[in-house]
Amino acid sequence: MNKSPWIFLGVLFALSLSWWGMVFGPASQVNAAKVDLGDGTSLRPRSGLAQQGEQIYRENGCYYCHTRTATGGTFGYEIQITQFGADEDLTREIIGEKYAAKKIFEKAFAFKAVAAARDAKKAASEEVKAEGADVEAAEAALEQAAEALKDAKEAANAIKIDETLIALGISGVTIEGDLAGELGLPIEMSEGDKAEVANATFAVSEGVEQWEEIKDTVRALKDRAGAQFKLLPLADDWPDVVNGVARRQSVSRDFLFDAHAMPGVMRVGPCLSNVGARQIDLNALYAKIYNSQAGGQSSHMPPYKYLFNVRAAEEDEKLPANAVTISTEDGVISVESGFVVTPTTKARALAAYLQSLRNDKGLPEAPLPDVREISNPKEGE
Amino acid sequence: MSEEGTHNAPPAPEANPEEINASCRGPVLFLFMSAALWAVQATGVGLLGSFKMHVPGFLADCPFLTYGRLQANAWVAFLYGFAGNAGLGLTLWMLSRLRGMPLSRPGFVFAGAFLWNAGVTAAMVGITMGDQPGIAGYELPAYASRVLLIGQAFIAFSAIITYFSRRHQQLYPSSWFLIAALVAFPWIVGTAHWLLVETPVRGAAQIPVAHWAVTSLQQIWLGCIGLAAILYFIPKITGRELYSRQWAAFGFWMLLILGGWVNLNSGSPVPVWSIKLSQYASALFIFVLIAIGWNMRQTAKGVPLLGSNDLTLQCMGFSLGAWLITALFTFGNAYSDWNSLLQFTYAGTAMRQFFAWGFFAMAMFGAVYYVAPRLFSGEVDWACSGTYKWIFRLTAAGALVILLAGLGMSYGHGHAMQAGSADVLKKALMPMRIAFLGEILFFLSSLIFLGSIACLFFRNYGGDCSPMALIRKCRLVKTTGGAE
Repeated sequence: MNKSPWIFLGVLFALSLSWWGMVFGPASQVNAAKVDLGDGTSLRPRSGLAQQGEQIYRENGCYYCHTRTATGGTFGYEIQITQFGADEDLTREIIGEKYAAKKIFEKAFAFKAVAAARDAKKAASEEVKAEGADVEAAEAALEQAAEALKDAKEAANAIKIDETLIALGISGVTIEGDLAGELGLPIEMSEGDKAEVANATFAVSEGVEQWEEIKDTVRALKDRAGAQFKLLPLADDWPDVVNGVARRQSVSRDFLFDAHAMPGVMRVGPCLSNVGARQIDLNALYAKIYNSQAGGQSSHMPPYKYLFNVRAAEEDEKLPANAVTISTEDGVISVESGFVVTPTTKARALAAYLQSLRNDKGLPEAPLPDVREISNPKEGE
Repeated sequence: MSEEGTHNAPPAPEANPEEINASCRGPVLFLFMSAALWAVQATGVGLLGSFKMHVPGFLADCPFLTYGRLQANAWVAFLYGFAGNAGLGLTLWMLSRLRGMPLSRPGFVFAGAFLWNAGVTAAMVGITMGDQPGIAGYELPAYASRVLLIGQAFIAFSAIITYFSRRHQQLYPSSWFLIAALVAFPWIVGTAHWLLVETPVRGAAQIPVAHWAVTSLQQIWLGCIGLAAILYFIPKITGRELYSRQWAAFGFWMLLILGGWVNLNSGSPVPVWSIKLSQYASALFIFVLIAIGWNMRQTAKGVPLLGSNDLTLQCMGFSLGAWLITALFTFGNAYSDWNSLLQFTYAGTAMRQFFAWGFFAMAMFGAVYYVAPRLFSGEVDWACSGTYKWIFRLTAAGALVILLAGLGMSYGHGHAMQAGSADVLKKALMPMRIAFLGEILFFLSSLIFLGSIACLFFRNYGGDCSPMALIRKCRLVKTTGGAE
């Protein structure tokens, strides 16, 4: 390499590669992110005190000890059928014998058969009453329908399960009155029964499958079998969600409106990605900021007393409404014994900012997963 | 370390080393002296910050001394104060020597150095007042980065004029690294300044930009200057040719291409494809490690670098080892399980400290030990040179303590976080407590460094007008009672 200009050009070119890949590319993509959440709502920027609080958080360097980055982990989908389609054999073929062999599946389709027979009998009965009908043929059809209904009821009752309401719910049919009683269902449903029927689901995957593994099943259920279902994301080995630190993984859009994005360096203190949902008691939050060890609590966070107004309490003085207090065995007392502590605007701004940090609402790219407690078994499990 | 002419036109006559050293004396010594002062500042402030981590109530009533502000100040003082001054000083001297020409336009260097140090000071004051932009690793307020960029431009102008003042020479690999560092700094800081501070992009887009800037400053800017010193001094002191220019070129280009991509945490809230690309880049970083490591191993084959009697060689040997370890850590980040375990632990900070002190500062200490006395013509009076070996020992010990604490104990913290264990705080603090010992050692070594440079400076600078010469004269007058 003897030519200096080539080195200059080469250096510029080499730097531009990583600049394009790590600055221009991601920043362009993220900068174009939309505020729409896909459910008619949209992300909103912080305003007022919470916006000012971001500045307090930044100038004190809180991001050195706290992260705002909840991490993800292994993610699986559970296919939850909420209503079967009409074709039992086709559904059986799609979901496989593993799930079709379950009694609840058979019961659901037995209810479907009962409902179909009931409807057929009702139609035949109306045919008998119709003007100008072939009465003899209609009565024969009615008799046949009644026989079919009787067979269907017997078939349904032969399947003994406890979850009859769930089977009814996923069958997608309505059975009421005496017929319900004959099938072991409540003749008059309570609100709880109705809710159980309405929320009934039948899982036809283990919840650890990735999209590539289940996409054919999902498409067949939707397009061929006419079933109704939902896909439930399940956090499998997902420490932050399992440990209650956050409700979901942090993603770019969580920082969309931040004037200064501060994802954090270390977790000496807890992750704050969902602190707004965890710490809803404002007074407790003030007490934590003022002196995290107040009331004998174990913490390593430094006290931020300079964010508060502190004055000596007068004898028998009643604490003002905005005083920062803690609860002890002796009742509610000032966070600093003998003093009246009230938050300054900076403390109120910081608290407002902290309470604005939430990830308990799902985003299309980061849905709220249910927890599979595999990686964090409880004692004795 | 030959610099063969490969073109038909005869190379311009080479200046003699004394002339080159004399041209560098003022500006380079000024930069070295500034670096020594900032090193003490960086380690002192860092030590205070770490102490507050162990005793949270200490000075808690002073808003200017929060842990976050002190950590930001310590890194700014190290990165721009110590590393910037020492790196630029060494760049000027090495480019002059490698090109065989005296330093051009030293006045620009003085102006640039004043501006540079003013910029660092402004940054320190700004951070203390709460004006940091909230990016760990790049804490420069807007006004400070403007001044730093102008200051660097002044110094780079002198370096580039020197670089082009003699042509038709084959460039020694260290020149490539130094030129890359000169070009990379304004690019990186300019991007960060513009996109993060001056006219910030949306919050979500700031995260990848900040990562690129912070990683590039470390891997490319500091990496290029430190490796330039290693590639220069090890062959020079051992009296051997560099084993392979091709290996050096391969390592150089790979470092430049990959340096800005690596080490993105697997849990970062950025597009998934950029995390994947970063992991691939981290995996490819093994080639940089092999290229540099193999080249230097073959160059110094049979020479015990750490066991050498030459202090500069010892420093360069340790610095090379530290760079290889951090490169290996970078390679390890390609493995997402490893990265997700360590991403919010002390490990990242420890590796940054190890890189900063074990690799970069050690290379600078070794280089300054070699360069500083040569800047003076004739016999050098450096009474404190004997203490310099303690700089090496203390820095090496401190770097190893931080490495072991950071990597070894952060595993426990990572596992505790993943399990939601009740003793997660204890596990988080343990590596920081051990690393505190390392920071004390860094503080002591930087104090000795400052003392040594001050000793050299005061005893030799200015000839008969130097402070020490004047003191000696006064003493002589006093003892002889002479009327003159």
